[in-house]
Amino acid sequence: MRQEAQPREATISTDQTAEAFLALEGITKCFGSFKAVDNLSLQIRHGEVFALLGPSGCGKSTTLRQIAGLDQPDAGVIRLRDTILVSTADDIFVPPQRRNMGMVFQSYAIWPHLSVFEIIAYPLRVRRWAEAEIDAAVREIIAQVGLTGMEERSSQTLSGGQQQRVALARALVYRPDVLLLDEPFSNLDVKLREQMRVELKLLQREVGVTVILVTHDQVEALSLSDRVAVMREGRVEQVGTPAELYEEPASPFVRDFIGQTTCLRGRLTGEAAGGGFTVQLGQGAGALVCGHSRLNGQAPDAAVLACVRPERVRVTPAEGALGANEVAGTVKALLYHGDRYECWLTLGGEEVMIYTPREPWLHEGGAVHLHFPAEALSLWPR
Amino acid sequence: MAALSGTELGGGAPAPGRRRRFRFGLGPAMCTMVLVVMLVVVLYPMILLLYSTFLVDQPDGSARLGLDYWIHSWGEAGMGLSIYNTFKRVVFTEAVAVPAAILLAWLVTRTDLPGKKLVDSFCWIAFFLPALPVLMGWILLFDPEYGLANQAYTALTGADRGPFDIYTFAGMVFAHLAARSVAAKYIFLAPAFRNLDSAMEEASRIAGSGPLMTLRRISLPILMPAFLIMLCISLLHSLESFEIELILGPPTGFYVFSTKIYQVINEDPPLFGVATVLAMAVLISLLPLIFYQQRVSASRSFVTVTSHFSANLLRLRKLRLPVFAVVFLFGLAITAVPVAFLLMGTFMNLFGFFAVPEPWTLEHWHSVLSDPPLIDATVNTMIMGGSAALFGVMWYSLVAYISARTRYPGRGIIDFLSWLPASLPGIILGLALLWTFLNVPVFRPLYGTIVVLVVALVLNSISTGVQLLKGNMVQLGAELEEASYVTGGSWLYTFRRVVLPLMAPALVSVGLLTFASAVRQVSAIAMLVTGDTRPLSMLQVDNMVDGSFEAAAVIGTLIVILTLAVAGLARFIAARMGFSGVTSGAAG
Repeated sequence: MRQEAQPREATISTDQTAEAFLALEGITKCFGSFKAVDNLSLQIRHGEVFALLGPSGCGKSTTLRQIAGLDQPDAGVIRLRDTILVSTADDIFVPPQRRNMGMVFQSYAIWPHLSVFEIIAYPLRVRRWAEAEIDAAVREIIAQVGLTGMEERSSQTLSGGQQQRVALARALVYRPDVLLLDEPFSNLDVKLREQMRVELKLLQREVGVTVILVTHDQVEALSLSDRVAVMREGRVEQVGTPAELYEEPASPFVRDFIGQTTCLRGRLTGEAAGGGFTVQLGQGAGALVCGHSRLNGQAPDAAVLACVRPERVRVTPAEGALGANEVAGTVKALLYHGDRYECWLTLGGEEVMIYTPREPWLHEGGAVHLHFPAEALSLWPR
Repeated sequence: MAALSGTELGGGAPAPGRRRRFRFGLGPAMCTMVLVVMLVVVLYPMILLLYSTFLVDQPDGSARLGLDYWIHSWGEAGMGLSIYNTFKRVVFTEAVAVPAAILLAWLVTRTDLPGKKLVDSFCWIAFFLPALPVLMGWILLFDPEYGLANQAYTALTGADRGPFDIYTFAGMVFAHLAARSVAAKYIFLAPAFRNLDSAMEEASRIAGSGPLMTLRRISLPILMPAFLIMLCISLLHSLESFEIELILGPPTGFYVFSTKIYQVINEDPPLFGVATVLAMAVLISLLPLIFYQQRVSASRSFVTVTSHFSANLLRLRKLRLPVFAVVFLFGLAITAVPVAFLLMGTFMNLFGFFAVPEPWTLEHWHSVLSDPPLIDATVNTMIMGGSAALFGVMWYSLVAYISARTRYPGRGIIDFLSWLPASLPGIILGLALLWTFLNVPVFRPLYGTIVVLVVALVLNSISTGVQLLKGNMVQLGAELEEASYVTGGSWLYTFRRVVLPLMAPALVSVGLLTFASAVRQVSAIAMLVTGDTRPLSMLQVDNMVDGSFEAAAVIGTLIVILTLAVAGLARFIAARMGFSGVTSGAAG
């Protein structure tokens, strides 16, 4: 297990040692008095899928548009390999058409006056390829995105999923250095979204292109990406692999934004004998040993939150005495999810939510014992 | 942040991607150029006109600053009266036209009236029909001596004179109502009525209020912004009216401000001082209306468009057919009736005289069509309308692009300047341009050429043109264009292969509309026209003023054919503004 209470700088410094394929340094962009992006720096590696994740208005789309060259930053440097794309200090701005990037827009931006073939051939015609090469390249990519046979279709007759495939093919056909995806699945229905997610993952492995993905959907970010940057108010809150973000969020914002979190209020009572910290829960609900701590120093009797992912809590019938790290509770409501229950309990004076398997003995009003594994619990300041 | 590895830019050798600050869209220099031109052609003439009212000519040819014109102009005969007449005519017209238009729009959109498409077409035709030929038709019907209505009356009753006289105040109000006055308001109101979601009314009914209460408490308040803006636009348009008053007013000495300005400018020597003071006085009194309209239009709060609404139609039951009959007759009256009499006029030997040996003739068509002034005027109209359409579309798309697609800091001013000419009475716009072209040395050589007219016509249609193109650009969305930049297209390539094909239908229909409005235009160009540049519309004015009704009717018919055909084509293209017309063949 890694060192507890890991300082945030450590994660970032490991990023910096890796070769940065695309680097953003000190990017700032204002719209009027609103700072959409605030002194943002990122290093993106070659061949990885990198997600910018955050709530709407956090500056993630603005960041993507500046990488594409559709917006100019007010300050900062963007470089691709050893080419400077943007440097406000040196008055350098490479226009989007010279950046050799591919982009899938949120609206897909499918030109309504062209056929599927012509839309995909467009970037090659811009590059003055020979007709035979265009034909071969377009047919290859059309096969890869699964649109074979639709070449001559008018783009106006395409479904949402087909439009996305065309947009993807157009963005990939000229082998761009980077593929930019701006909320690529937000216009699709749930089923199609899941399917396109898998297809995109497989296609990316096949093509090997570096992908930067902007999304507000954490499931999309976690399932597609090698690394994720969580953004908030124009700044990067944390960069890490999906597992790092989920298991070791660096801030309450990341903890609450990614996945569900159940928090119990309590007071820090000391260090446990076998490692970790003991916490006395409010209203005599019991005591828990927490394996991790995000506290800055451990003042005795400090007000803390003991936080856990709801699927890590185990529920057993209230029989016999409480075991180690077990607390008694009462089931208030059971919400049927099909594969599991969303279970709301009262625990001392507090209401908490956990996910449980569909145990037949669970019923509303029933008394239960809850086991919180010490390694799943982390302490946060309150 | 010391996050960089060692590839920092050296002072000397530029990095491979190094460019000067390169814009992929329109550069700020271009935007500034557009702004400057707009300031010069729109604002500068108005300021010059205002300034000229304080510039008093001295007997020795010099000028000094003073309030003399502002003080003494009012002593000029008929000055104050012309302003009073203007407002009197507007109030009488609008008092009938506004309720009539509201009723018509309500009938067509919220009831089960039959033949709705027909009514809609009548109104669109009336909207595009030029005022003068329509007036010509009505004169042929209601002229006190030759008018067919009066002849029929005397024939039937044996009286000396018929009761109708179009050369009166009532006749003038009638001519306005029978022209586009009602139709234009209907065209503006119908969409607002149509988009009113029935669910809002139904919610009120279910909550327990009756139909009248619902109308008063729900429907009217929701539609109120639309009514207000319609009223505002109508007042501005009605106030600037010129042609009808120019023909019907002078015989009885009735002048409105626009015909008064025209009259004093045409005196020898022209009374510029009086004209400019009158123009400025009217303009200043219109300012509140102009700014109110600007504010309401900008907020765009007057459309309640919902994508999925239901329109629950009121059943007219027994009234259905009688109401339809009235609406149908009204539709005929604003379109077919005047045009029919206009046509008839072109074929009569001497209009209104059926008793002569040969009442019908093709002589007028022969003589007018072989008449050099007419041929010159037709050529002038074509050159003028064609240039206005061509340069107009180019200019409007630049302005619309800056307004819709760039973050140019001055685009607010460009917006305002492109919108302003629509609110300025045409005669004042014309006077300001006349003053500029006569008094600014750089522009003076252009006076008397067709360039002056083209500038006036481009300005006259700028508000509509820019609005239409801007709406089209906004609807298309910026991402279609950005997708081309990202895949490697330059601004020019993107413009040629993406923007232009997508905008083509809008550009063509704006061009045709500009042409149609140029062909019928009188007020904005009346004072700028010289002998050599006289177009058809002004030739018709001259013939009508001279009483050559037959020739005027022939010219009027030509104008009607030109405007209706072109406007119809524009409507047709706009209606098909899907993208079916443009195929993948554009690749070459």
